[in-house]
Amino acid sequence: MGLKKGKPTPATDVPGERQQARDLDGLLLALQAEDPLTRRWAARDLEAYPEAAAALLTQLRSERENSVRQVILTALTGIGNETAIRGLIDCLYLEDVMLRNAAIEVLKELPDQVAPFMGQLLKDSDPDVRIFAVDVLESLRHPRVEEWLIEVISEDPHVNVCATAVDLLGEVGSDQAKVALASLKQRFAEEPYIQFAADLALKRIEADEA
Amino acid sequence: MKRILVIDDAATVRLYHREILEKAGFVVDEAINGLEALEKLEQAPFDLYLVDVNMPKLDGYGFLRALRQLDVPQAPAIMISTESSASDRHTALVAGANLYILKPIKPEQLLAHVQGLLGEWQD
Repeated sequence: MGLKKGKPTPATDVPGERQQARDLDGLLLALQAEDPLTRRWAARDLEAYPEAAAALLTQLRSERENSVRQVILTALTGIGNETAIRGLIDCLYLEDVMLRNAAIEVLKELPDQVAPFMGQLLKDSDPDVRIFAVDVLESLRHPRVEEWLIEVISEDPHVNVCATAVDLLGEVGSDQAKVALASLKQRFAEEPYIQFAADLALKRIEADEA
Repeated sequence: MKRILVIDDAATVRLYHREILEKAGFVVDEAINGLEALEKLEQAPFDLYLVDVNMPKLDGYGFLRALRQLDVPQAPAIMISTESSASDRHTALVAGANLYILKPIKPEQLLAHVQGLLGEWQD
């Protein structure tokens, strides 16, 4: 007797979406599937599972398909818990430029969650990470933003960290920043950009006061 | 007169570059990210692009990759970054930058790079 063909598998509405069960275990399995479409759908659905943040971060680092990376980043933004934030901050130290920049953009969208790490980031030994931290301050609505920026331009030894901070102080700075801006000009007297940006910030602060 | 597009999300940086370049006789336009830059160049291409790396919506690498695939008159691009690692430089050049220079840049350095690259491009 010949083998009977089984019932055909019902067509799925979205290719790759229904290959695994849609519970956490099934989605975690699908996240490692060979087919990028399956991984993408799994990543999208894992946004509903905060406990999947670590697995998403692991996959993010090895993922080569840009569209899947984007969905993983969106899922991590949606989860936004401590694991997700710490994992994204770790990405700032990677040599993978694309992933590092993508992580920066995601972190900028999560200012409240990043705020508790700000003090540590502003003191990081890597100036690029400190620049990123200043960039995040731009989107941070936090009462300490000006204080942090003044601290940076008063203490940070790296010209580009100070340059990034002074750009932002021009927008959010008040009378309190004037002394630090004048000191910064003296500290980097040979840097035309610092002179230009500090003068501009001082003018804006004075115009706001008038 | 040569037209230069300055692409940077920091208003102070755009103004700094604008002042230097305009004093030297260039016509300068600005874009706040890669996406706005692509819109502007489709209206009228530029003779040179001065491109920041980290910008929202479309970063400098994304802009350069898109620019190099567009069917528009091509022009040299200088990527200006705070990141000094070899991988950053490599990524910029692969994306389509003709030159990768580090911030902060002094006016005379910027003009030397711009004029040098425009001269090479014409040759």
